[in-house]
Amino acid sequence: MALALGRTVRRYGGMASMAPKFFLAYSIWVWMEWAVQTIALIITSFFWRAVYTDQTVIAGLAQSQTLTYVLLALIFAPFVHSTGMIYNFGYLLKEGQIAVELLRPLDFQAGQYVWRTAELWVGLILQVPLFIVALFLGMQPPLDPRLWAVFLVTAFLGHAVLFCFDWMLGCLAFYVTEIWGLSVARYGFTLFASGLLVPLALMPDWLAGILNVLPFAQALYVPLSFLTGIAPLSDAPRVWLAQLAALAVLLPLSRWVFRVAVRKVTVQGG
Amino acid sequence: MPVIQAENLSKVFHIPQKDPGVAGAVKALFRPRFQPKVAVDDVSFQVAEGEVVGYIGVNGAGKSTTIKMLTGILVPSGGQVRILGRDPHRERVANARDIGVVFGQRTQLWWDLALTESLGMVARIYDVPPTRYRQLLDQFAEILELKDLLHVPIRTMSLGQKMRAELAATLIHEPKIVYLDEPTIGLDLIVKERIREFIQQQNREQGTTVILTTHDLGDIETLCRRVLIIDAGKLIYDGPLSLIKERFGKFREITFDTASPVTTFTLPTGAEVVAAEERKLVLRFDRTRATASQVAASLMNQLEVVDFSLAEPDLANIIKHIYQGALREDGGRRTEDGGRKAEDGRPELQASLGR
Repeated sequence: MALALGRTVRRYGGMASMAPKFFLAYSIWVWMEWAVQTIALIITSFFWRAVYTDQTVIAGLAQSQTLTYVLLALIFAPFVHSTGMIYNFGYLLKEGQIAVELLRPLDFQAGQYVWRTAELWVGLILQVPLFIVALFLGMQPPLDPRLWAVFLVTAFLGHAVLFCFDWMLGCLAFYVTEIWGLSVARYGFTLFASGLLVPLALMPDWLAGILNVLPFAQALYVPLSFLTGIAPLSDAPRVWLAQLAALAVLLPLSRWVFRVAVRKVTVQGG
Repeated sequence: MPVIQAENLSKVFHIPQKDPGVAGAVKALFRPRFQPKVAVDDVSFQVAEGEVVGYIGVNGAGKSTTIKMLTGILVPSGGQVRILGRDPHRERVANARDIGVVFGQRTQLWWDLALTESLGMVARIYDVPPTRYRQLLDQFAEILELKDLLHVPIRTMSLGQKMRAELAATLIHEPKIVYLDEPTIGLDLIVKERIREFIQQQNREQGTTVILTTHDLGDIETLCRRVLIIDAGKLIYDGPLSLIKERFGKFREITFDTASPVTTFTLPTGAEVVAAEERKLVLRFDRTRATASQVAASLMNQLEVVDFSLAEPDLANIIKHIYQGALREDGGRRTEDGGRKAEDGRPELQASLGR
């Protein structure tokens, strides 16, 4: 048992350890990412300052609270972007590289999850300089370690929920040949549904209510709402229970969907 | 017990059909039509442990589709596959541990990583003990001449270097069965030679079972005693390479160097002149009507022969002949080693394997 566990950790751990090497293979990409993200942080902070010019509170959120939220949302965006499977599956199928991936003696979904989570960690580490930039732009992150702990647990649970949901969306690639449009639609919807651009608290109640229960918000808005004081810390157990329940349904469902979809694989040519 | 068993294996793809123009595209959006395409049709064969089998056919004949069903990537539309007693699709992970696959046009290595990192990763995924990994790495680096490439990212390698690296990655976990799908495609003669030697060595020393698809008949001649020929999805030949040569390499060529200029002579039975120079004569003879010794003896009685050489039938021409339908034309004759007719009435030669 312990031996088997050790082997599993070695296999998947090995995969996880590769993620930083990929991220850092092209240093120009890292520099460009920092430059673009810094510009995004600056524009976002100016925009929200402008919105609050004549008001101190909007929909119950003070200027500093909203500013902190939107800047943190940009910094923690990898939680919602790292799970996008539609483009990944589409690429694997289009290039026929799915054949190679399916030949590895690994659980395909577990392998992808480990890879995505490793990418997420690398992405978060690379956000550290942006965190410092955001502090200069007026972000006031909380200092209470309990808030950060609750944030991290909620965010990683939400990330797992979103991964399972995205996994099922990604399986559409097995049925349609064109996945670019679908991938862009997912990205666009995520910007709003996850609370990445606008806190869901600023949306109409009915819309916020719907978006709040979708997997996108679980990976960003819900965890950030603890960090920024939008939601009380006492809500955390209820939220975690809901996330675990969602995982209990989505994980087996996503595995079943893949098992059915993978039968459609067509890898033409040599 | 065979390590590979394919029984009545079939694969049907459904190819989308669209009418031309924008109207066709719009129509296909609401009412997509699919045309069934039979890629593999009722193919059955077995491969014993340690065999090296060549699987050949023209482009689109169904070679790669068969390999993908054997590896568990594709699900057969009909029939069944057992690899080492397992269903390769249902038991994909367990099957993957025991096999290695090279797709000549794809890579299992990580493009941006150095070869040594990629190989290390493959070894971890396959649970290769670190000491064994180092032994194999040294051995492969030596045989495949990878020493100078170990710290080079895959993306900067030439095609030949990539293929050698690919072979190392495929065999680093010492698989029981290796599928090589066009492993020498686009490679120069020296690299091809090295790769063939490596495959031979693995088969000889490790007892690795190999299925090889290729368009390079040099690969087949060097590595395989048995070939499977697939044509339009159907297996049309399964038997020894030597039997094909015997059946379809009907004509052999014999070249004589003579001491004095060749003037007149009587042609032996079944022979014809291919080329005649002052002191050189090339004859072609039908091996079913005369033996090489008969032809040689006849000429030696008439001419002062200094030297002679006998050329075996050229496999490339034989296979080309088969691809062009020789087996179909030839199928009316039942052979003593088990020729039979396919169910659709198309003649088929199925050699008795005798294993």
